[in-house]
Amino acid sequence: MQKKSYKQPRKAVKQEVKAAPRKKRVLPILHIFFILSWLWAAWYYGSVFHISREYSFWVADTRIMEYILSQPYGILRYIGRAMLQLYKYPWLGGLLMALILTVGSWLVGYCMRLRTSWRAVQYLPALLYMAVVTYKGLDIFFEARTGFIFGIPFLVLVVLCIWAVIIRSFSRKPAPAFIRLPKDETPRQNGLQLLVIGVCLAAIIGFDQWQRPYVRVICGLLQMEYKQDWAGVQKLARANATMSNRPMACSYAISLVQTGQVAERLFEIRMDYDSLYVHGLDGRHNNASALYVPEGNYYGGFIESSQHACMEQMVMTGPTVRLLKLQTKCALMREEWNLAEKYLAVLRQVPFEGAFCEKYGKMVRHIDLVNADKEMALIRLTEPLHDSYESQYQQPLFMGYNLLLFEGRSPQALINSLIVCLYTKLMPQFVERLEPLVGSTPPSSIIMDGILLAENKNPGLSQNFTGLNFRQPQMQTFFRNTQPYMQDRPKYAYELFPKYKGYYPYYYFFGNLKATKKGYTSLSSSSSGVN
Amino acid sequence: MRYTLFIYLLAATLLLSGCKPKAEVPSQFAETNTEAPIYPDYKDIVIPPNIAPLNFLVKDSIATAYVAHLHSSKMEMTAAASGNATIKLDSLEWRTLLTENKGSDISVDIYAKRPEGWVHFKPYKISVAEEPIDAFLSYRLIEPGYELYRQLGIYQRNLTTFDEVPVYENNRQYSDGENHCINCHNYRKNSTESMVFHVRSNHGGTIVVQDGKAHKIQLKDSTIITSGVYPSWHPTENLLAFSTNKTGQAFHLYYPEKIEVMDEKSDLLLYDVTKNEVSHIIRTDDDMETFPCWAPDGKTLYYCCAKRNYLLDPSVPDTLITQQLLLKFDSIRYNLMSISFDPKTRSFGQPQMVIDAAAENKSISVPRVSPDGRYILYTKGDYGQFHIWHKSSDLWVKDLQTDECYPLTEANSPDVDSFHSWSSNGRWFAFSSRRMDENYTRLFIAYFDKEGKAHKAFVMPQEDPEWNILLLKSYNVPELSRDAVTISPQDLRQCIYETEGENAIYKPNPTAFVRLDGTTGASKKAPVDGTSGASPKKPE
Repeated sequence: MQKKSYKQPRKAVKQEVKAAPRKKRVLPILHIFFILSWLWAAWYYGSVFHISREYSFWVADTRIMEYILSQPYGILRYIGRAMLQLYKYPWLGGLLMALILTVGSWLVGYCMRLRTSWRAVQYLPALLYMAVVTYKGLDIFFEARTGFIFGIPFLVLVVLCIWAVIIRSFSRKPAPAFIRLPKDETPRQNGLQLLVIGVCLAAIIGFDQWQRPYVRVICGLLQMEYKQDWAGVQKLARANATMSNRPMACSYAISLVQTGQVAERLFEIRMDYDSLYVHGLDGRHNNASALYVPEGNYYGGFIESSQHACMEQMVMTGPTVRLLKLQTKCALMREEWNLAEKYLAVLRQVPFEGAFCEKYGKMVRHIDLVNADKEMALIRLTEPLHDSYESQYQQPLFMGYNLLLFEGRSPQALINSLIVCLYTKLMPQFVERLEPLVGSTPPSSIIMDGILLAENKNPGLSQNFTGLNFRQPQMQTFFRNTQPYMQDRPKYAYELFPKYKGYYPYYYFFGNLKATKKGYTSLSSSSSGVN
Repeated sequence: MRYTLFIYLLAATLLLSGCKPKAEVPSQFAETNTEAPIYPDYKDIVIPPNIAPLNFLVKDSIATAYVAHLHSSKMEMTAAASGNATIKLDSLEWRTLLTENKGSDISVDIYAKRPEGWVHFKPYKISVAEEPIDAFLSYRLIEPGYELYRQLGIYQRNLTTFDEVPVYENNRQYSDGENHCINCHNYRKNSTESMVFHVRSNHGGTIVVQDGKAHKIQLKDSTIITSGVYPSWHPTENLLAFSTNKTGQAFHLYYPEKIEVMDEKSDLLLYDVTKNEVSHIIRTDDDMETFPCWAPDGKTLYYCCAKRNYLLDPSVPDTLITQQLLLKFDSIRYNLMSISFDPKTRSFGQPQMVIDAAAENKSISVPRVSPDGRYILYTKGDYGQFHIWHKSSDLWVKDLQTDECYPLTEANSPDVDSFHSWSSNGRWFAFSSRRMDENYTRLFIAYFDKEGKAHKAFVMPQEDPEWNILLLKSYNVPELSRDAVTISPQDLRQCIYETEGENAIYKPNPTAFVRLDGTTGASKKAPVDGTSGASPKKPE
């Protein structure tokens, strides 16, 4: 049988191509927006939203949530907090966020009956939301005002849905494409939308990188700290070593203490502490100590003080997942079993906290398991030997106590104390605490350099230790090279940092200078008293 | 259409009834010799005949269903639970059960359905007393201890039901200009007709409520340390006794007890509500007087008192008194004292020692006299006066007829037992205790029999017993009353927010016990008046 040929003559084909209108090439902008907003909400800003969840609290039981429900917009905040729970897994929370923003954008287009040439406008509310979140920075979760993160876009979505239903009831106007390609758009209109989205997103990310670069870094560090990913904390902190803020420094120091490196690598990040854009409940600029004091006290071995700091925050903001977890660990370490069970009972009602509850639930009434836990065992080594009062020490306690430490539980306690003395540049206190090391080689290069620096006012000090000679030449070189900059140290501190990072003499002369701090404020006064 | 609706309703009813566990005593079960694992512990207690149902959890992790069978010779009731293990008793049946069994016992049998079948735990009994408890219990809900406060309020619970209403809540939303703390609520003779509480910080003042009207007063004078606290209504006269304390607190770093609250100095005040006059009852430099409490006849005022100056180093400036006292926190000991009062002449006698607790290295706080005037119920701990944070604190009574002092062992626990309030018939008292989790205080109720013996205490019943675990606030300052507070939170709010408070007129009482040595602290001078019986023995 002869095969039938469907091949047309070449001439005929050419004529057809000429006659057919030019094929429109349009992109599914809504889908692209969905992917971009998902990437923003999960990958770029995911850690910030994840920490927002940790600084939030939600359980279905409305009795427990009454402290939120009784406030203005209580129901909205309750719903918003419920949605935020998905950020336990940033990709999941980001998916919901992207869906809300995308569906919201589509509904804006539909409800406003935007012409195809104006369709770029439909993305502006969502982009505005992203911009506001970025502008707010740490404020989106600081003081636990977390219900608005999802609450506001959710409310807008609900309003748009109702609006759309009303429109649909009275008009049969076709909706713009949601799943399909937007065939009603010209490539030019299509491109304009992409341009608007691209420019706005670039501006948002640019603002974040320029004005709030610490937000993602702090949240990333906290995220890893809560997972006890100490290597991750160190890597991220060192990658942003020129950035300087106290939450970051505290996370980094905790990771070093937990990995036994605090005496070796503490000064590898800048410690000048630039001002952060963060505000307290009173609306005034806050020093953000709430972000690190409870953990700083806990990992420093001051369990009661950690409980104190946690409780003060719980009083002011209500419970948060992060505080309840820390309270649980503190209760376990203090063998307050019933208290630990209480916090675990509350945490069990929080979605996605099963693993934490299982891990720490096993420790209740088993002090052997508590003491066998790697993190807790290390903390035990630096617990105080004797009682005293918090008010006897400078704040934060994990620093102030170590400045006055006179008797420690372990060599780690001594090292912590020595390093705090070096950090605060209080050399007389540092020298006083060297006594147990006399006759030996100091355990780290930082301590060695500290001894060499202290020798200026304590001639012959270095002779009490071995192994210091090889550090001398480096110090002499340092003094020789930095001599020209000593006249105006704040001016050159930043410039010299990359060259000398990690080197204690640099920190001693150029680091943590009052003049290099920008707008640092003390904690605002709060209502306090004996309750 | 109608049939469809009917089918849906029928299905829903069947579904719901299927979810509800059957309240039937199992016909076959295995006996266990273990105590019924119930929470809270309601085993072998004495309860008032008007108390709300004692709902509880059965903590048997492998069981899937639970049955409680409450029975006596007169009546029985059964309740069941499934997944959540919460036995909720029907309030009507419960009420009838208690009424029928006044003065007798109810046996309780708990059954749990384990994979191998039903098991029956060791039965226990609940004794129903003849005497009811005052129906209302007021308390403050606040996070435990520490320094800051935000959302807090005074609430009133109807003990015969589960109804809880706010008496007054502070501002729910943070506001620098509005934030205020409320504390020290008190009623006269278990009646809310006369009520007082204190507002601190913004809108501060003492709120006195009488005849359903609230007014704010300011107890201020150069001779008064601070506003009045720890109020006590005179039983017959329109008078209030307060203490005025300079109080501070500190946080332990490594100690079983977390917080130390102590006074640097304190005196006692008398406020005449009708005349709006305030005067000192006791004003001394060396002694710290606190926790005033009138006897039911109104002729004696009990209070606690500690010596201070012997603990201070005279060479240290007065500004460091608090620091000095903090370092000797476990050496400050309060005795129970009394001072006589003539209501007609408004004159006071001389302070008298009632219990010399310091002599036995103990310390007393919160004296409360029973309505019949026979017993003084107080808290006794190893030191200090803020026993709510001291694990050593227990409830004790002094029988004023026999002078015998003894602990209420059955009601006490190894943890904190403090702040107590008598029921108007003297057969019940409510108090706060940290026994459940060592941190969050919960309210307990105990029966006090005619022989002056307290029985095992039980926690204030909750509709959902798990609420005792889940609530992240402490109950404090329980005050029993026969009637409900009638003034509305709105009226109180109006008084607190919209009035500055009338300044009380300071009018010295010529019979007040005043002993000033010219210094505020570290004086070596001997007291001008050595007649006080308040001198405790210096601890060895």
